[in-house]
Amino acid sequence: MLNYMIYLITFAAGSILGLLYSYKQHGEPFVAVTKFNVPFALVSIVGWVLGFCSGNVILSAIGFLLAGFVMGERPGYGRKETAVGLIIAIIVYVLLKRPLLM
Amino acid sequence: MAEILIQVIIAFLAGSLLLGLHRKVMARVQKRPGPPIVQQLIHSLKFFFKETAFPKTVSKVFYIGIVFILALIWVVGVIVGPVAKDSLLILFGVYAVYKIVEHNSGSSSGSPYGKLSCVRAVLSAATELPLFAAIVFVYLVTGTMNIGEIITYQSVHGPLIYSIPLAALMFFMLIITKSPYSPFAITKDKVLISGFETEHFGFLRGFMLFSEAIAWYVLLWVFLTIFFGPLNAVGYLIGMIVISFVTGFINATTPLLSPNHSVMTQITIGAICFAGTALMIFTGVVA
Repeated sequence: MLNYMIYLITFAAGSILGLLYSYKQHGEPFVAVTKFNVPFALVSIVGWVLGFCSGNVILSAIGFLLAGFVMGERPGYGRKETAVGLIIAIIVYVLLKRPLLM
Repeated sequence: MAEILIQVIIAFLAGSLLLGLHRKVMARVQKRPGPPIVQQLIHSLKFFFKETAFPKTVSKVFYIGIVFILALIWVVGVIVGPVAKDSLLILFGVYAVYKIVEHNSGSSSGSPYGKLSCVRAVLSAATELPLFAAIVFVYLVTGTMNIGEIITYQSVHGPLIYSIPLAALMFFMLIITKSPYSPFAITKDKVLISGFETEHFGFLRGFMLFSEAIAWYVLLWVFLTIFFGPLNAVGYLIGMIVISFVTGFINATTPLLSPNHSVMTQITIGAICFAGTALMIFTGVVA
């Protein structure tokens, strides 16, 4: 169970860091962002793929940190990027047939 | 010991994130952006560093002690459930004590809001009847109260949700009752500010939020374990997210019931499910 605890801690830490970072970047009142942020989408894809499909505790932890960073952004940001990251991670899992959450 | 600590941390983190998701779902249904999912966790941690004040009207020893008892009973819930996979009866006991703590937490504050919430906690004990009935039906079908043995039974005979769905519905009603902003959450009616929590500040409120997160995780874990058979980590993750999502949707679209309506609704649903499940068992529909 230690690995799941590590994943949760890194995901929560990533989310908090993402929240702090995005509030620093965007101080304006809430806006529903329609723009797709490519660098953040890449971070999200790498994060979710590593998190679910790497099969290694350390890589998965890093993955969940990155995934949490994008998902934890302030409301209005990081939603599409998270969705793309999750979908690609599921596709990679299906293609590789790697066990989920080693 | 290390296993208990790890499971408690998992329960706290997962429970907080799930409650955060619950708030987010409710907000989106109501066309609000809602707080970030991690906000509930940040809130819980924040309270531990806030200044703690003690109102003059409190019964001090009781007022402080009750939050530690609250945290302790849900830690016991983690030990009995995810760690030891022990008896469902102990978990029923944990829930019963939780109701008593809710009651005493309100009465120890000396606040009229807390006291009214304390009275309502007695009424809201109506949820314990369907919970007890659900546990009894699980026992009648599986022949055991032990969670580990119930998991083994389901790995052979399939998940219990297929054989006693109405018992699962009774348990699910308990989950709805325990979820934030539930139509049955009469102890935390906004008329009562925060109900029995109103007069608890600082680290005392931090312990309460810590307990709530663990309670949410334990209830979802028990529900998924005893009705959806042996699940792996991903199964639990998906199940917990789906239940948080569904309860969030229900709570966002349902007004809070008055205490008498809440109790009558719970007892009526419980009675229908009880009669239905009993009929299924005694007429041989359930093997």
